[in-house]
Amino acid sequence: MSDNGFAVRLTGVTKRFGKHTAVEGFDFEVPRGVICGLLGPNGSGKTTSIRMIMGILHPDEGSVSLFGADPDVTRRTKVGYLPEERGLYKKMKCLELVTFLGEIRGVRRAEGRRRGGEWLDRLGLADWADRRVEDLSRGMQQKIQFIGTVIHEPEMLILDEPFSGLDPINQDVLEEIVREFHAKGTTILFSTHLMDQAERLCERVCLISNARKVLDADLSELKAAERRGVVAVEFEGPDGWLQGPEVDRIERVASGFHLLLCDGADHQAVLRRAVDSGANILRFDLVEPRLHEIFVRHAGAGAVGDSGMPKMGGG
Amino acid sequence: MWHSVWAVVRREYLQRVRSKWFIAATVGAPLIMAGLIVVPAYFSSQSERSARDLAVVDGTSVLYDRLAPKLEDGGWTVQEARWHADVVTELRQAANDGSIGGFVMVDELTLETGEAILYTNDRPSAIRQVTMRSAIARAALEYQLEQRGVDAESMLAGGELRVEVLSEGVSRQEEPRFVVAYLGSFLLYMVILLYAVAVMRATLEEKTSRIVEVIISSMEPWHLMLGKIVGVGAVSMTQMLIWLVAGVLLFANGLPMLIAARPEMANLAELREVLPGVGMLALFVVFFVFGFFMYSGLYAAVGAMCNTDEEAQQAQFPIIMLLVVPIVMVMSVIENPMSPLSTGLSLFPLFTPILMWARVAGGGVPGWQIALSIVLMVLAVFAIAWVAGRIYKVGILMAGKPPTLPELWRWVKEA
Repeated sequence: MSDNGFAVRLTGVTKRFGKHTAVEGFDFEVPRGVICGLLGPNGSGKTTSIRMIMGILHPDEGSVSLFGADPDVTRRTKVGYLPEERGLYKKMKCLELVTFLGEIRGVRRAEGRRRGGEWLDRLGLADWADRRVEDLSRGMQQKIQFIGTVIHEPEMLILDEPFSGLDPINQDVLEEIVREFHAKGTTILFSTHLMDQAERLCERVCLISNARKVLDADLSELKAAERRGVVAVEFEGPDGWLQGPEVDRIERVASGFHLLLCDGADHQAVLRRAVDSGANILRFDLVEPRLHEIFVRHAGAGAVGDSGMPKMGGG
Repeated sequence: MWHSVWAVVRREYLQRVRSKWFIAATVGAPLIMAGLIVVPAYFSSQSERSARDLAVVDGTSVLYDRLAPKLEDGGWTVQEARWHADVVTELRQAANDGSIGGFVMVDELTLETGEAILYTNDRPSAIRQVTMRSAIARAALEYQLEQRGVDAESMLAGGELRVEVLSEGVSRQEEPRFVVAYLGSFLLYMVILLYAVAVMRATLEEKTSRIVEVIISSMEPWHLMLGKIVGVGAVSMTQMLIWLVAGVLLFANGLPMLIAARPEMANLAELREVLPGVGMLALFVVFFVFGFFMYSGLYAAVGAMCNTDEEAQQAQFPIIMLLVVPIVMVMSVIENPMSPLSTGLSLFPLFTPILMWARVAGGGVPGWQIALSIVLMVLAVFAIAWVAGRIYKVGILMAGKPPTLPELWRWVKEA
C-alpha cells in the first residue's frame, strides 16, 4: 500500500443517495505534482467524488486516501479547496475574511493579512481590502473566494468547476495562477465540464460519465494513442464518400469536417474512396483528436449532451 | 486544532460586537432608560424650582417639626413662618414676588381633622396634592398617637411580622422576594432564548451562504459549533455586563435625581431593598451560562438541520416549549417553593435556570439542591453537546427537507 506517490487515491469507491447512485466503483489516482482534470457532464459524479476526497461525504464502499492516509482534518488543511457551491461571509471585510480563512487552517493573523494583502494587490482588489464582501461584484467575490482557497499555501489545490462564472479575462488570470502553482510543485485537481479548458491545462485527465469512470490517463499518451482515429478533411464536390464502414462519426468543424474513424480502421481506404468519387480534396490530415471527441468516442454522444440528471449531493 | 476554534470565536465575537444592531441595543437601551429618567427630572426641576419653596405657618407649634421632614421628603423646601396678624398678607406678597412658591397654613383644626390650606400661584398636580395631604395627615396622626404613648412610626410603617420556621432541614428562611424571583426568571428566559436563537440564526446563515463547506473542510464540525456558541456567548456576556454597569450607574445616580425631581415616585427607592446581592448575581450568571450552553446546543442542531427560516421556525417549536413550560410554572413554584413538584421540576436541567432561580430568589432552598442542580446541568451540557454535535455534523452539509425524528435518530447513531 504505497500511496506516497499519490496525493489522492480512490479505490472502488461507490456513493449512493437513496436509490440514486452518484459514483460507482470509482478507481482514481492523482500523482503528486501533476495537474489533473476530472471531466464529465453535469451530474456525472464529479462533485460527489471531490466531496469524498475532502471528507465531506463518506463513501458507501471503497476507500479514499489523501496524502497516503485517511482524509482527516490535518491532511485536509493542506489542501486548498474551492467547492462548487461558493459562499462567503457577506458582511465581512475582504481582507479580514481571507485572513480568517487562513487562520482556521493555522496561518497566523499577521502572516495571513500580509499574504491576503499581496493577493488582493495582485488580483487588482487592493482598494477593496476594507470593503465588505457584499459590496463587490460577483466576479470580484470569486477572486476573494480563490484567495481564501490558497491563503494557506496548500500542498494541493482541489478546485470544483473553478472557471464557471468567470469572464474570459479572469479565466485567463486564474489559468495563469494555476500554472504558477503547478510550477511550484503543487498538485492540482480540478473538475470541469469544459473540455477545451481541460485540454489546455491538464497533464492527466479522468473522464467520468453516469457515475462511472470512462477513462483515466496521461493526456499526451491518450492523444497519441487516439491519434490515428481522427481525420480533418476539406474538399469541394460530392460528399457521399464521407460515409463508409471505417467512419464512426462525422463532425462538422469550422472548416470542413472531422471524421472519427472506427477502431483499427484504415484511413487510406477513406482517402481512396474520396479520390474515386471525384471530389477535389483540399486537405486530408490526421489530427490530434480533441478531448471532446475522445470523450464522445468512449462515453457515447448521449453522455455529453445529458446534463438533465439530478445534481449530486442534493440529499 | 484550537487555533481554528479560537479563530471562529474571535470572528463571531468581533463581527457581532461591531454590528450596528449590537451597538444600538447595547448602548441605546441604557441611554433610553437614562433619558426617561433624566429628561423629565431635568424639566420638572427647571419648571417647578420656585414652586418648591414653601412657607409653613404653624398655628399649633407642634406640627411643624413633624411636617417639615415629610414635605422635604416629598421634594419641597420648607421654612417656618411665625404666626402674627399680618402673616398672610406678607406671604401673599412673597408669593407674588416669586421668592416663595406658596404657603401652607395648619392649625388646631388640622390636628383634629387633617384639614389645611395651601396658598399657591400654580395649582399643583393631583399627585402632589395627594403627597402633601398625606404628609399633613401623617404628621397630625403621629402627634395624636404619641399623645397616647403609641410608637407611631412603627405602626404607620405597617408593623413587622417575624417568621419562625418550625420544620428542620431547611436553611434560614428569608423574606420572600417575589420581584427578584419573578423578574429574574423572566429575564433568564428572555436572554437564554435571545442568544440561543442567535446561534441558530448564525448556523443557518452559514449554511445558506454556502461558506460552511469551505470551513468544514478545514475543521471538525463540532469545533465550528463550539466556536459559534462560545463566540455568541461572549457577546451576550459583554452585552449584559454593559447593561449591568449602566443599570448600577443609573440606579446610583439617576434614581435620587428622579426622586428629587418627582417626589411622587419616592417609593421607587424601595426598589433598592429588593435588588439582588452579589451572590444572587453570580447565581444568575451561572444559570444563564448553563442555560445558554444547553439551549444554544439544541438551537445549533436545529439551525444545522434546516435550510430556510420557515423550516427553522417550525423545527424550533419543541425547544421553545422546553423554555415556555418553566415560565408557565414559575408562579406556582414561587408560591410553593418547597413542594415536591417544585423541587423536582427545578432539578430537571433544562428547567433549572428559570425554576431554580425562582426558588432560590424566594429563599430557603437548601444548598445541596442548588449544587445538585448545577451538577445535573453540567451533565446535561455534555449530553446535549454529544447529541447536538452529531446532528450538527450531518445536518450542516445536508440540503433538502429537515429530517424526521427517525432520521434524526439515525444521524445521531451514525455520525
